[in-house]
Amino acid sequence: MIRFLPLVWRNLGRNKTRSVLTGAAIALAIALVCVLRTMPAGLDNLLASITANTRISVHNEAGIVYALPYSYLQKVRSVPGVVAATSWTWFGGAFEEEKGVTFPNFAVDADSIGPVYQDLGIAPEALEAFRRQRDSALVGRQTLEKYHWKVGDRVTLKSTVFPVDLEIQIVGEIPLANDPRLWLQREYLSQALEAQGSHFDLINMVWARVDEPERVNDVMRTIDELFRNSEAETASETEKSFFGNLFGNLQGFVTVILLVTGMVTLCIVFIAANTASMSIRERVGELAVMKALGFRWRTLFWLLILEAGLLAAVSGAAGVAITLGLARALKNLAGWSPQLGPLASFLVTNAILVEGLFLALVIGIVSGVVPAFGASRRSVAATLREVF
Amino acid sequence: MIDLRNVSRIYRRGADEVHALEHVSLHVPAARFVALMGPSGSGKSTLLNILAGLDRPTDGEVVVAGERLNDLSEDELAAFRGRHVGFVFQFFNLIPVLTAQENVELPLLLTHLARAERRERAATALRVVGLSERARHVPNQLSGGEQQRVAIARAIVSDPEIIVADEPTGDLDAKNAEETLGLLRTLKQDFAKTVVMVTHDPRAEKYVDLVHHLDKGVLLETREGGAAPGGAS
Repeated sequence: MIRFLPLVWRNLGRNKTRSVLTGAAIALAIALVCVLRTMPAGLDNLLASITANTRISVHNEAGIVYALPYSYLQKVRSVPGVVAATSWTWFGGAFEEEKGVTFPNFAVDADSIGPVYQDLGIAPEALEAFRRQRDSALVGRQTLEKYHWKVGDRVTLKSTVFPVDLEIQIVGEIPLANDPRLWLQREYLSQALEAQGSHFDLINMVWARVDEPERVNDVMRTIDELFRNSEAETASETEKSFFGNLFGNLQGFVTVILLVTGMVTLCIVFIAANTASMSIRERVGELAVMKALGFRWRTLFWLLILEAGLLAAVSGAAGVAITLGLARALKNLAGWSPQLGPLASFLVTNAILVEGLFLALVIGIVSGVVPAFGASRRSVAATLREVF
Repeated sequence: MIDLRNVSRIYRRGADEVHALEHVSLHVPAARFVALMGPSGSGKSTLLNILAGLDRPTDGEVVVAGERLNDLSEDELAAFRGRHVGFVFQFFNLIPVLTAQENVELPLLLTHLARAERRERAATALRVVGLSERARHVPNQLSGGEQQRVAIARAIVSDPEIIVADEPTGDLDAKNAEETLGLLRTLKQDFAKTVVMVTHDPRAEKYVDLVHHLDKGVLLETREGGAAPGGAS
């Protein structure tokens, strides 16, 4: 087939406008499919990357929006098997007030964040600085990149939950590629609130690390038993379960995304098939001549498929390139979204790019099969009679 | 070289049957230049298609270059055409996106020849038809006569024994028509090709060895052309 490549290539250039338009349609469809596919991939990646099998969440049984008393933190720490525990309280800080909360930010216990999250790979000096400096913050890489922040920068967050604006200094990074989180010291928030005469003794949840994966279920049971019949009963769950449930409502959205990608693919197959039909129909005479010269119908069939496949492959490569650019632009533009959560991380994995190229190839081949088969099976004599 | 025995061809057009050929027997010896003449619808092109392996008879036997075409599958017929038959059409039918050289090279893509060998053979074929200097031109940069000569070069490049030409002068002016007929004559004379041509062109008679007249699917008469031994030219 290699020897036929120049012929195939020339045929693609026969009607440049049509080839370019068809190629552009395929490229854009592939880009759309790939970008949509980054959304469920972002969820999968989040669950795979930030969930440790020894970390558990303890929150109000009624739901995470209901608070727990701060005293629960000490009680959780005292449960056998718990190595370390820290509290999270939603700060809801907006960097640009008019845009609202554009990344998740929490007030946490600085002393214990390191032991609880030792698997995240946060630099020891960053953890130490966070523990020592009251107005410090640790920031996820995604948010750092989005705002072009760097360690040492000072930024002010206006809370949408508490009546305070806090100026913080970034002292370290949470080194996960798509991590949008920002952690600031609970003590800093507490002092700011007390300065206004408010008393701050609530938390949203406790995160605890258990010494052995095998003990996780027992520890969770013990903790929930501990707070049974208390003012705020708890529900403990593993980190994987927590984030799975948190983003569970996104699964419906993911299903819609997958349906849309399927429909887009089908549409583009029809469009490409229509173009292939037109292109082949214009050449039935030439194909008949080639058959007269000795080309077998299978050879012609595969030449036409190769032509459609080549156009699709080139278009697919363009689509993949568009995907990379588009995902980067969207990531910068949208960043973390409270509605979309990890779906808006627009994480382009190699698997998505390979899927995109493969899909383009399938589109090309499928769209070419019917017209190529019809044209290559036509009788030479009948075609020559009809066309010439 | 070509033997058609009692060949009939019936087409179905809706509920009707069209008898394109009726019990035609024809023998064309090797290295002859033969014209099939007759009015439109007389069955000339059908006869040409059948002896070239492009169409199958409804009845009768077709033996060409020692092969009984009735027995061959579609793929075998394609291979037969590639080996034994070169085609020249009225409207040249060159591939518009390929240069003259590449058009001539096209049948050789089906062989196992290396690229350099293919190019050399195509160049030789173009030299035979006097178009070496136009090798890099695409068809729409060539005149009608030049395009037909490229088509003839394509027909001979794989060195087939038989050249079939369907109205090769039909779309040419008088000068180019004469040149084309002369070239086909040369193929027979200098390269011992068997040339079978369908034509309406009365000028063709002086170039050919034999003229077969058909009408309504029946072979009416066979007579010597002007180029036959003892003929007019």
